[in-house]
This record gives sequence, C-alpha cells and structure tokens, in this order.
Amino acid sequence: MAPSVLIVDDHPSFRSTARMLLELEGYTVLGEAPDGETAIAQARALRPDIVLLDVNLPDMDGFEVAARLSAIEQPPAVVLVSSREASEYGPLVGTSGARGFIAKADLSGAALEEVLAA
Amino acid sequence: MSSLRPALIGIGLLGLLLTAMAVAVQLTTDRGSITSRTVDAIVVSTVMAIYIGTGLFAWARRPHNLVGALLCATGFTFMLNSLTVSDTGWVFTLGSVLGSVFFIVFAQLVLTYPTGRAATAAERRLLAAGYGLAIGVPLAYALFSPDLEGHSAEEAPANLILLADLPWLADAIDVAGSLAGVAVIAGLLWLMVQRWREATSAARRLLTPILVCGGALIVLLGSVLIADLVVDDDSVLYAVLNLAALVPFLALPFVFLTGLLRSRWVQVAAVGDLLERLGGEERQQLGAVVAEALEDPSVTVAYWLDAEERFVDDDGRPVTLPDPDDPARAAVEVRHGDVLVGVIVHDRSLEEERDIVGAAANAAALAMENGRLEAELRARVEDLRESRARLVTEGMAERRRLERDLHDGAQQRLVSLSLQLGLARGAVDRDPGEARLLLDRAAGELDQALAELRELARGLHPAILTDRGLPAAIEVLAARSPTPVEVEEVAAERLPAPVEAAAYFVVSEALANLAKHAEAEHATVRVQRENGHAVVEVHDDGRGGADADGHGLRGLSDRVAALDGRLDVESPPGKGTTIRAEIPCASS
Repeated sequence: MAPSVLIVDDHPSFRSTARMLLELEGYTVLGEAPDGETAIAQARALRPDIVLLDVNLPDMDGFEVAARLSAIEQPPAVVLVSSREASEYGPLVGTSGARGFIAKADLSGAALEEVLAA
Repeated sequence: MSSLRPALIGIGLLGLLLTAMAVAVQLTTDRGSITSRTVDAIVVSTVMAIYIGTGLFAWARRPHNLVGALLCATGFTFMLNSLTVSDTGWVFTLGSVLGSVFFIVFAQLVLTYPTGRAATAAERRLLAAGYGLAIGVPLAYALFSPDLEGHSAEEAPANLILLADLPWLADAIDVAGSLAGVAVIAGLLWLMVQRWREATSAARRLLTPILVCGGALIVLLGSVLIADLVVDDDSVLYAVLNLAALVPFLALPFVFLTGLLRSRWVQVAAVGDLLERLGGEERQQLGAVVAEALEDPSVTVAYWLDAEERFVDDDGRPVTLPDPDDPARAAVEVRHGDVLVGVIVHDRSLEEERDIVGAAANAAALAMENGRLEAELRARVEDLRESRARLVTEGMAERRRLERDLHDGAQQRLVSLSLQLGLARGAVDRDPGEARLLLDRAAGELDQALAELRELARGLHPAILTDRGLPAAIEVLAARSPTPVEVEEVAAERLPAPVEAAAYFVVSEALANLAKHAEAEHATVRVQRENGHAVVEVHDDGRGGADADGHGLRGLSDRVAALDGRLDVESPPGKGTTIRAEIPCASS
C-alpha cells in the first residue's frame, strides 16, 4: 500500500508542486496544512504515515511541530523540509524528533525513501 | 512694599498703644497684689511686644506670607486675655468672653506654618471649630453665670451680659467646652503630626522647631483645660501648668525669628559663595553648587534649548518641569539679561525663600548660559547617539526584512521552479502535453521571481539613481505613484551619492506615505540647491495629521540627520502635508 503523506508549508505554490511530485511517485497525499496548529490537528485526524514539514511556519517553527507530533499516539514519520540547507540548523534537526531533512529543491520520492530508510 | 510700609507702621503704633493700655489696665486695677499685677503687666507687654514686633518684621520680609499677620494677631488677641483684671464692667466682660481667642490664633500660626494658609479642608474645619469654641463657650457661660470663670463676684465687676443665673447650665457649658477644647487640641496635634510626616526633608528642617515648640504649648494648654476640670483654679498644679505654658509661648517668636534670620544669613552668605565659586573652576557641578547654596540636595538645574524648545540636563537629556501645582517640587526661571537660559528645580518648601532662590538664580545665570551652550552640544551628541543607535537597529531590521523577503519570495519561487523543471523532465517522454503544462507553470514562477527580485533591488538602491541621477529617478517615482504628482523642479547637477540617495528616499517615502494615508488628489515635488544644501520638498493637498514620530518618517529623519541635515514635517489636520528635508552637500 502506498505510504500516505501530509504536506505542511505556508507557501501554496510549494504545497501544490510537492503534492504533484509525490503523487507521481506513488505516494498518497492525504492533506495539506499552512501552519503548525493545523498540521497537528490534521495529523491527529488523518493519521498519515509521513508528515512533510516546512521548518519556517507562521505560528511556530517546524522543530516544535515535530516535537509535538512525536508525542501523539502512533506518531507519523516527520521529514523536515526547507529552502535553506540542513547545515543552517545545526543539531536542531537531530534533536527535534524528526526522521530527517530534505532541502526543498532536492525533494523527490527517492530522497524521501532514503531519509526514511536511514 | 511701599504701600505696605505705612500700614505696618500704623499696626506697630496701634500695638504700642494697646500694649500701653494693657499695662495701664494691669497697674490701675484694684484687684490682686501690686506684685502680681506688676508681673502680669510685664508678661502681657512682653508677649505683645514680641509677637507684634516679630510679626511686623516677618510681614515686611514676606508680604505675601500670612505668618507675619498671624504673629501680630496673636499679640493683639493676647491683650484681650489681660482685660479680665479690669475694674470696668464692659472691659472685664469683653476680656472674659474673648480671652481665649489668642490661643486659637496661635494654633493657626503653628498649624499653617510656613505659609500661614490652611492647606487642607480638615485644617480649615478644625480651625473654624476652634474659633467657634474659643468665642462661643465663654460667651454662653457668661450668659448664665454672674461669676465669670476664675474671678469671684465679690472682687470682679458685674457681668454685663448675664441673661439668667443658672449655675447648673453654666457648669455644664464649662465642662462640655473643656471636653470639646481637648478634642480640638487632639485634632490639632494629629494634623501637625500629619503635616510633619508628609513634609519633604527640606520642609521638615523648617517645620520641626516650630512644630515642637507649638506642639509643647498646645499639649500644656490641653493639660490646663483638663486640670481645669479636675482641680481648683487656685491649685499649685494649675499655676505650674499655666507658667510652664508661658515658656514655649514666649519662645515661639524667637524660634521663628531665628529660623528666618538663620536661613537668610546662611543663604545670603551661601549665595555670595556661590557667585565666587561660579567665577572659579567649578562650572561643571553647577547643580551641586546651587544645591549646596540653597541647602536643598534635591536641586537640579535644567538648560533651555531655544532651537528645540525644551529643557535638558547636564548630560543633554530632556527634563520635564514640575507641574505648577506639584506639592513637592517647584521651578524658578534663570534669565541672563532677557534671555531664558534655564531653570532651577527645587523643593517646594524653598518657595518661602523666593528671594534667596532668585538671588541664586541671578548668581547662576552667567554660568548657566555657558552650561547651556555645553548642554546644547551634549543634547546634540545625545541626539546623534540615539539616531545612530536607531540607524543600527533599523539596519538590522532592514536586513531581517530583506532575508525574509528573499526567503518568502524569490527563493520559494525558485524552489518551486526547480521542482517543476524536475517534474517536466520526467514527463517529457511519458506525457509531452503535461510536460508543456509544467514548463508553462515554471516560466510563470520564473517571471514572478524576477519581478520580486527587481522590486527588492530597487528598494535597496535604485539603479536609475546611480545611472541617470536624481531628476530621472524622481520622475520614475512620480510616474509610479497612484496619486498624480507634479515634479516642479529637480536640480539637474549631480550631488554627492549619499545626498542623492537620502533625497531620493525622502521623496520615495513621502510619496508612499501619501498614497497610503493622505487621501490627496495632487502632490508636488521639488529638489533645489540652496546655500550649499539640497532642499527636498514634497507637498500634498490631503488630510494632513501625519505623525512625524511614526516609524517611516522617524527612519527618514535619522537618515537625513546622519548627513547633518534636518527633516521637518508640517501636517496640520485638513490642510495637507509638507515634508521638507535640508541636507548639506559637503562636496559641492
């Protein structure tokens, strides 16, 4: 069965492009969220396998959302994305409870698989 | 003072006359031994002379202060008390009824020192009650008792206002009056303690000797009233208390006089010293020198900056003057010639020493004029320091904004573009139609990204300004403005780059503001060269009321000030807005 994904990003153009890309690669996109609170609510309701989570969100940053998602029942695998490089965030990615990080420009099904397999 | 002098002389002569009369009454009466009458004559004349004399001196010194008048009134009313020994019926009756009034006049003097004016409604009410008792009780007693207090009917002349001989009623009035008197005395003491507790430390120095002396007398007279209830008039305790009360009563004018003279002499000397020191090397601590001269450590001096119409302290920081009805602080202007150079802010209690403060202000005027020039310089430095700090903060905020704009704008579009190109590449063979669709979307993202980058770059520094100069750059701003803008004049010659940039941003910000807020129908822009300055003026016919301290205009003002220029905003409500910047062109 195809893994299910929730896309969290405040830029609609990225959400729609990411949805198209992931769907082409065989993922099921369950929903989209523009901010942290909506993301947490959607993750509880939709129970996705993966949450693709932007670091810069208007209400709270992706690290905090990742930490809160890791505390819900049957937590999803969180993959952080950003238009910045992972190196700009230092150890934050590792300590947030997220499974890994993908630069937005490098997003692909293969990149996602690689992070989840690690 | 000139119209006051004859009046005071008249009061003095009246005092002499009444003192002589009081002595005559004492010495001509048939009652009592010659020794006791002589002693009484000495006491009454001494009290009258001291109180009236001191009162006239204080009155002349400080014509607007009621203390002098109250001292005189105490002396005059004390005379009434001595009339009770008279053999003449009406004099004796008058003395018996009004003999206690001097005490409440005295209480008013102590309670309202140093102004002579009751400060609170409680003080006014209590004093009114005191006057009512001091007159009402002896009067009521005299209406119902032939035997006026303390003087047996055999010796004393007839009570001329006796209505009916009702000893039980007279006794009741006597006891009730004494009890009410004790209550008033307790109230007076309580108000005196309140007054002392609420006084500033400088005011306490002034108040303490008077309150101690007055308080002692009030306590002793209270004891006399109580003793009157429990012991006979001719008992030793009664006599001792009466005699003891005389000590603070006689001492008070001297305490008052000593304070007056001491503060005067000490402070006149201190002001002389102040003059000398200000002529010397101690200009820096002007505030401290004046504080020492006025014996008020809370003194501060503030300098008037004419151009900026505000007061600043030694360090150039703005100073707010105390409110005219501030109970603790007051300020006196310092003028050098006709020119306001500053103020001395001091403890309110020094208002009583207005002439000394005035002398200190005169002494300090020249030094303050010099200090003012220094303070003006420091204020300028302080302003520059603040505007530099604001520029740094603004710079940081600008960088954050820039990073945010790049991140949210062009960077996101380029990320999407990259992903769409990847998708299109994957779709080329599989579905050429979808690939074309994806490439169209990518081209759209690219156009948007380019437009956002162009806008951002123009905000940093407009290329047209560097390439074509101010006239072309301002024409572009005018053309982009949604409000019609007429560019009346822009000096064609090139100005130093920072001046051109500042002028450009003044116009740019002014036009952006008027488009957002002014509801204007028309605006004009001109940039002229005047006396080595670039003068930028943007005027609109909108609703006015622009906030010169608002974020945008404040930033502009700092930008202009960094080049030693100044920005003025004139924006009366309903009458349009004129923003005018004058920027020196150093390299012209």
